[in-house]
Amino acid sequence: MLDILKISVQMYLPELICVGLMCLLLVAEAMHKDEGTDRSKIYILATAGLLATACALMMNLHIKPTLGFYNAVVIDQFSTLIKLILVFGTLGSLWLSKSSNDIYSDLKSEFVVLAIGTLIGGMLLASANNMLTVYLGIEILSILSYVMTSLKREDSTSTEAGMKYALYGGLTAGIMLFGMSHIYGLLGSIQFTELAPKIASVQGTDLVFLMAAFLLFFAGLGYKISAFPFHMWSPDVYQGAPIPVTAFFAIVPKMAGIAVLIRFSNLFFSVSSPLSTVWIGLLHIVAALTMTVGNVTAIGQDSVKRLLAFSSIGHVGMMILGIVVLDEVGTRAILYYGMAYLFMTLVAFWITSVLNDTYGTDSQAIFRGLIHRHPSMAIMMTVVLFSLAGMPPFSGFVAKFNILSVVIEKKYYGLAFIAAINSVIGLYYYMKLIKEMVFSKPESTEMVPGFTDGTRVLVVALTLPVLFMGIFWEGLMSLSGGAKLFIQ
Amino acid sequence: MISLASYLIISIILFVIGLMVMIARKNIVAILLGIELILNAAALNFVAYSKFVTNNLDGHIFALFIIVVAAAEAAVGLAIVIRFFQLKETIHIDEATQLRN
Repeated sequence: MLDILKISVQMYLPELICVGLMCLLLVAEAMHKDEGTDRSKIYILATAGLLATACALMMNLHIKPTLGFYNAVVIDQFSTLIKLILVFGTLGSLWLSKSSNDIYSDLKSEFVVLAIGTLIGGMLLASANNMLTVYLGIEILSILSYVMTSLKREDSTSTEAGMKYALYGGLTAGIMLFGMSHIYGLLGSIQFTELAPKIASVQGTDLVFLMAAFLLFFAGLGYKISAFPFHMWSPDVYQGAPIPVTAFFAIVPKMAGIAVLIRFSNLFFSVSSPLSTVWIGLLHIVAALTMTVGNVTAIGQDSVKRLLAFSSIGHVGMMILGIVVLDEVGTRAILYYGMAYLFMTLVAFWITSVLNDTYGTDSQAIFRGLIHRHPSMAIMMTVVLFSLAGMPPFSGFVAKFNILSVVIEKKYYGLAFIAAINSVIGLYYYMKLIKEMVFSKPESTEMVPGFTDGTRVLVVALTLPVLFMGIFWEGLMSLSGGAKLFIQ
Repeated sequence: MISLASYLIISIILFVIGLMVMIARKNIVAILLGIELILNAAALNFVAYSKFVTNNLDGHIFALFIIVVAAAEAAVGLAIVIRFFQLKETIHIDEATQLRN
């Protein structure tokens, strides 16, 4: 028994580092409570801790898949790669929060603590191997997210967003639990490894109830990744929350939710059974509708935060396409998509944040004639938007190409067609923003103050992968090529 | 002897009442109560299944976790509602209309 614990703790090192870091930061934060104290020490501590977590994850990349804590969690290459994306997403939004004025300066250290707490929830989700860990992961993610959303205490939109998030979140978590309870009752276990073999043998009325239970279960996951029809909260929350928090939401909870959906679908439904037909059909519909709703609604948006929210819903739809095929190639394509999406989203939000700090609004008008007022910023934003739209030679193109190629390989032509149409719709609203930046005359010739030296280096460093991942993508694919899901 | 069916019927009634509360009531605190009802329905299911069907302790453990997490969620939810009340002087859900297309 002690042996099991020892092995479990050993492979769980990255999460433990994160937990330790969060406790340390809580203490450090309490000591810097006074207004006006310099908080850069807290940022340095957080960065060091997160980099240590990333190193520990890199070391985990080479161990063979193991189950830990009595099958509650599984550490395999897939979960480790997802966790790396989560860690870097957190790191990026932390540094964004440092330079942003959208978070009150005396709450910045609290944001750091909350973000790392949320990261722990995300990491738990990425390696969840029973229903209890899925539930705990989702709740850790959600409860801390509610607080982060309403971080702008004096601002009524932020509080409203937090409240809507909490109400939607509570409801969907409840519905998911209700579904889980029936899965537990009908199949007799909460362990994924014990549940999966029993799926194929379910028959009769049990099958109908089990289908309903799985649909209810999907509500919880669908809400976390803001898939249709559970996406309604996400534009409101994205608009109301401070920009660094929005950037964080666009990456960490989404990738964690996608990870658990991948594991769940592959574990339970890769063997054909009546249930798997229903589940795959459900994923088909959800993927198509999520993409379409996200991209079509994005067209009319004036707030850039809202536009990026809808575009991220569209991207989630694309990622679900990779789950539909239920094989390793699809999983690999999603991992690549996640990495590309991480960099694109961070840069897009970063530039929006800089402009938002200058003008105090996030309407599209702040981008007007940006090329005359701050050329380098406009060029970087153009690169990122092209990449988000999926234009070659940027990483967004390769990501979309990978997903589409696996979908076509599986002969889901209808889905591929819908995805292609959605790319065109996406191109339209991204281009509109680019047009605004490049071809519109600015209202004043005043230059935008732009970045401080530190952030300029960071933003350029984040933009370069968008370029290079589009050109030298084979190396990265071979890295995620080992990303096997561990299925018993 | 109370059978499994009675527990399941009670839990589904709780679940539906919770849903109805969430849809019909306009008071935010009442909506939070509706969430609690749904969570309790799930917890009841877990314990009932654990006693009658599966004969393992998974369900009991799960129910305990649900109670703990529900408390945390209610605490955060109420804190946000209080903040909302301080800013808007109302806890009517129809007043939460600042964020829209």
